[in-house]
Amino acid sequence: MIKKARNHNSITQFQQLILTAILRLSEAYGVTIRDEVAELAKPKSISLGAIYYTLDRLEERGVVSSWLTSPTAERGHRAKRCYRLEALGERALQESAATAKRVRETIAEVWGKEWAKEWEKRWGEEASS
Amino acid sequence: MKARPPIVVESLLALLIPPACREHVLGDLHERFTGLGSYIVEAVRTVPFVIISQIRRAVDIRVFLMEASALYFSFMSAAWRAEGVAFLHQERSLLRLVIPAGAALFVLLTRDAYSTRGPRISALGSVLETTVGVGFAFLFEVVLSAASGRLALPRLVVLVGSATTVVLVSAVRIFFARNADRPRGAT
Repeated sequence: MIKKARNHNSITQFQQLILTAILRLSEAYGVTIRDEVAELAKPKSISLGAIYYTLDRLEERGVVSSWLTSPTAERGHRAKRCYRLEALGERALQESAATAKRVRETIAEVWGKEWAKEWEKRWGEEASS
Repeated sequence: MKARPPIVVESLLALLIPPACREHVLGDLHERFTGLGSYIVEAVRTVPFVIISQIRRAVDIRVFLMEASALYFSFMSAAWRAEGVAFLHQERSLLRLVIPAGAALFVLLTRDAYSTRGPRISALGSVLETTVGVGFAFLFEVVLSAASGRLALPRLVVLVGSATTVVLVSAVRIFFARNADRPRGAT
């Protein structure tokens, strides 16, 4: 029996990164998700094992779903397990983005507009590099 | 032509990876192959996560707790009957009872993680699985008694405890399904 999904708000930062990677990728499977998450989580190093473990948990909660593709020669005639976001995952991601925005606004309120400008400048440089 | 991992290494890896995720994990590792050294490092960083994930997926915590309790109770009651209450008051006696129970539980957990069967299993299958787990615990105790007699249980306790375990744990496994029906959207 499929377990009732837990509160979709309770996703960790790493899970947010994985969901963002799946959202962006046209073909989201272990290797491409790892590469995308490694890009998002720079400079942290990300192992394929941690990606599998987290994907498994997300799938169990109904946040993502998966299917096997046909085997291909460049993978030693083995199939890919592709993932896509489910409605719960999309909602969790939207709420994460809203929370991140509120956190940023609160920090800017406390530390001042100068900090916010500086942060945006630095963030913009990092994003464009 | 793209380099590929040695067949021997890949075959060994295939033995370690649980069947439910073997196909795509081996494929992903194959796709990322650049050299043998980096392939092995990547495999070492990946396989433990995959095994743990599969154990977590296959094991129902309630069934696990029932099995653990049945195992511990079996060895404790065997010690009580064979050696008397005094045995349970000896130094490290409770720890000594945990060792065979833990060894059998380890085999049963691993079996569940690597199993390709469905959530239900025949009564005979359950008894066989439990017997294998208990057999491992028995062998572990034999090795332990040779290496460190202080931690091993008396042979009679192990024998009686093992027999009780086969009955109790088999019953748990017959009456309670494992978690093989957790969602896995593969088609």
